[in-house]
Amino acid sequence: MEIQFASLDDAASRFTLSGASPAFANALRRAMIADVPTLAIEDVRIYDNTSALFDEMLAHRLGLIPITTDLTAYQSRDACSCNGAGCPACSVTFTLSAEGPKVVVSGDLIPQDPKAVPVHAAIPIVKLVKGQKLVLEAKAVVATGKEHAKWQPTLVCGYKNHPVITIGDTCDACGMCVDECPREILTVKGKKVAVAAGKLSECSLCRLCERACISTGIGEEPAIKVSAEPDRYIFVVESDGSLPVKEIIKRALKHIKGQSDELEHKIREISGDDKK
Amino acid sequence: MASSYKCARCKQKVEIDVNVRCPYCGHRILFKERGAAIKELKAR
Repeated sequence: MEIQFASLDDAASRFTLSGASPAFANALRRAMIADVPTLAIEDVRIYDNTSALFDEMLAHRLGLIPITTDLTAYQSRDACSCNGAGCPACSVTFTLSAEGPKVVVSGDLIPQDPKAVPVHAAIPIVKLVKGQKLVLEAKAVVATGKEHAKWQPTLVCGYKNHPVITIGDTCDACGMCVDECPREILTVKGKKVAVAAGKLSECSLCRLCERACISTGIGEEPAIKVSAEPDRYIFVVESDGSLPVKEIIKRALKHIKGQSDELEHKIREISGDDKK
Repeated sequence: MASSYKCARCKQKVEIDVNVRCPYCGHRILFKERGAAIKELKAR
């Protein structure tokens, strides 16, 4: 199994995973979405709210704000010594106090820990008109996307099989497939159609080129054929900013390893083979 | 105990017993005031 990065920064990444089974590729995708912990607001105490939004609506909006998470300083609520009650090792408190007229934004939340701040300071929460007031206290806790989508560290997180485009000898470079391709990855090169340099990975496997080729009256078989490599995947992962993408991938892989180790241990226990 | 309301026209505090009507100005639209209790919610 091999991972090759096409691009990697804190916000987004594109990489190729080769030599893996479809089950493993999907396990990695699912682990990145639902098994990497982040901070998100969970408990809200509303002292005063004369805004146009209901308390519940406000609390829901607060919950969806991504918060920069340092996983070396915080641990998951379930694993914490406080047993999920909420202590400084697994939660952060924010206070918010605002009076209209103004638009209350995520930057108005004052954190107890200056490191755990909203990723973007300009996310609107509620618009207050003159005389309206909002005072609240919010507690963010560390949990995973399994529990609620607000704890997902990823925005876009998916994969596709690596495309393979083969152009047969019957190709007469009519250019029908070149015009049809929505991703514009095909070009006419000499007397044949070819894939433009470095554009193969952009193919979405839609097979419109095959249809266009058949419509020219070439016969039953198209000259251009699109297929997928069964054990090679192109992943696209985007972070919401709470964790860098590298950390998300690392943690997801660690989680998969932890789970398989646990399974192995359980099987050994059952079979009574504890020596190895 | 009757909860406190606020008249939409004269902004006076009003207690409702039988009629839904402001005793000061006769207006019939009253707003229910927010209670003093702290509301605890789950952000979901």
